[in-house]
Amino acid sequence: MTSGAVGPRPDRLSGWPSTHVSALVPGLERYMDFNALIDNLGGNTLDGLVRGSIYALVALGYTMVYGVLRLINFAHSEVFMVGTWTVLGVYTVLGADGKSGMSMVIFATAAALVAAIVVSAAVALAVERIAYRPLRKKNAPPLIFLITAIGCSLVLVETFGFVLKYFFGAPFGRAPVGLPSPIETVTLFMIGDVRITNVAVFIVVGAILMMLALDTFVNKSRLGRGVRAVAQDPDTAALMGVNQDRVIMLVFILGGAMAGVAALLFTVRFDITKFDIGFIIGIKAFTAAVLGGIGNLRGALVGGLILGIVEVYASAIFSSNWADVTAFIVLVLVLMFRPTGLLGESLGKARA
Amino acid sequence: MRLNTRAGLGALALALTVTATACGNTDDETGVDAGACEGNIGVMGALSGANASIVLPSVQGAELALKEWSEENTDCDIKIVKFDTEGDPAKATPVATKMAGDDTFLGVIGGAFSGETRATKSIFGDAELTMISQSATATDLTQEAPSPVFHRVVGYDDIQGAAIAKYLSDVVGAKKVFVIDNSDAYGEPLAAKVSEELGDLVVGDDKTQVAQTDFSPTISKIEAADPDAIMYGGYIAEAAPLLKQIRDAGIGDDVPFIGGDGLYGNDFGVAAGDSGEGAIITCPCVPIEDGSPFKESFLAENDEEPGAYAAEGYDAMNIFLDVIADGARTRTEIEEAVDNYNGEGITKQLAFDDNGDIAVENVVIWAYKVEGGKLVPDQEISLS
Repeated sequence: MTSGAVGPRPDRLSGWPSTHVSALVPGLERYMDFNALIDNLGGNTLDGLVRGSIYALVALGYTMVYGVLRLINFAHSEVFMVGTWTVLGVYTVLGADGKSGMSMVIFATAAALVAAIVVSAAVALAVERIAYRPLRKKNAPPLIFLITAIGCSLVLVETFGFVLKYFFGAPFGRAPVGLPSPIETVTLFMIGDVRITNVAVFIVVGAILMMLALDTFVNKSRLGRGVRAVAQDPDTAALMGVNQDRVIMLVFILGGAMAGVAALLFTVRFDITKFDIGFIIGIKAFTAAVLGGIGNLRGALVGGLILGIVEVYASAIFSSNWADVTAFIVLVLVLMFRPTGLLGESLGKARA
Repeated sequence: MRLNTRAGLGALALALTVTATACGNTDDETGVDAGACEGNIGVMGALSGANASIVLPSVQGAELALKEWSEENTDCDIKIVKFDTEGDPAKATPVATKMAGDDTFLGVIGGAFSGETRATKSIFGDAELTMISQSATATDLTQEAPSPVFHRVVGYDDIQGAAIAKYLSDVVGAKKVFVIDNSDAYGEPLAAKVSEELGDLVVGDDKTQVAQTDFSPTISKIEAADPDAIMYGGYIAEAAPLLKQIRDAGIGDDVPFIGGDGLYGNDFGVAAGDSGEGAIITCPCVPIEDGSPFKESFLAENDEEPGAYAAEGYDAMNIFLDVIADGARTRTEIEEAVDNYNGEGITKQLAFDDNGDIAVENVVIWAYKVEGGKLVPDQEISLS
């Protein structure tokens, strides 16, 4: 992404008293730098929200499928990965890059969004039809689904890391690929010393809007009622005339679409993809879903945002390689006191 | 160069167990007729997989050396036998055991990466099979646990770390450097060496993780420290997004970004895009000049530009060929001759010290600059 329009960063808040937390314990500042967190609390929080928004959108896919099927769909991270490649494909076909005009930027972004949603939803649906439905028809035990999910995940990863490269060559393969970045990062306004960029707003607002739309759809629409019915009691729902297979398809499509949105927002922010880009994000999104209460849509958002903020705070206080350690300590602590996550597993309880 | 330590411990354990069996073969009479000029040189490295582009050119270089030599030495029958390890120590161990037990093997070029080298050098050591690595640069291979059979034609990471520090202070003229590493066995010691050499010039640091994509906390720390140069010890996969985010945050080209040979390769320019322009990458590998005889022959033979470590592979093979031409026939003779070798290679003066390293004064570290997505030689970093 070009950086031309970004102005110089203003000075940090000055005049903090010299007795910071780390100054109270001699030698502590070598390992923990609370000043770094406090001096830039707003910036770090925003970074955490941006990071968490992507987790939250991917977490929605895990949580919806779990809510209805009691299945952890480990192939979901690869649905996200395919979405990022779709964005790359659309930009490449349209020839959009940092030099494109405004109308082109809007068109390319919208086209990439639609394409990512469609392709991701299609991949999620294909995984359901190919890998899960036949097993469900045979009443396979839950463990079999788990192994199939991991298998699907590996197949998709290797498809992009190896198979497509074999047939088409670059950019497929195991090396990271840079994406063109039509949306230029610009500072919209400042809150104190925190630089609010268009990209940050786009991601956080986009994630919250998608969450609200999905929440409304599941709670208010007729199709959403079917989803809730199957989540609550599949057998009774079937007796009441709800087509279970259709509901399951719908859940995978919605989850895939959310992963597609996440893929676009991710590429807008990071301009990069890779055959295994989904792995870490998938793990984190799954963690976010569990943290918020798996099966609970609002929990996915809360869990994602909290996870993102915890990681960034930990990175600021210690160093960036402490992010995962701290995030998982927080997860364990939360689960010790709230075993069903922050907001509880409420999809089955007519909440979702 | 690259370290692959994931499976290193497991491979090491395996190596220790197979060592016992490998020992039995060493003192048998050689399968080669004494005096006959024939045998195999093994090549061991990642010939496929993600990192193959760093290894394949050196194999092509070695093959070119053999072809040229064989045309002059028609009475000899030396062959190169290639073994693909994918850079994985666990896959390198059985390969090493196979070569150690087969007396037709007179020497090994490799391991290409440090992890596989660490896992296999005791196997080769027990079999007295001489190794010359073209690209394994981990410091400990010679400095902490030297093996009598291990030699390498490149400088190690500590030398490179010192060179990066020197480049930053002397060429860039940096007064405030921000040092980042990827917390792994390659990046961490490299960055630590740079920090040690720079001393007070380091104004901030951060440790990131392998497979990380969001570097916003690191960016915040960089902004707070307001450096005039940034050093990163790690690999392409993380360096590309890191550099993009640094430039996105408005930290411009006036703050140069410098990395070690973990970023060496055109993949970096592809992944970093416009942000990558002007990035400095150091490598213990020398650039190959246009029009040089090596480049001409390489192009004629392979239809492509000589890539990473091609010249180093060529030099490593020529050491073996020279000592064979001088009459070394058995593993013991070759080991002794390589230890005492002193000749002029195309990359540098080739002679090994007791640890198997090229003398520090002969080591060459080059700085490359990313221009138009490609690596262009910038300058040699003087180490003295």
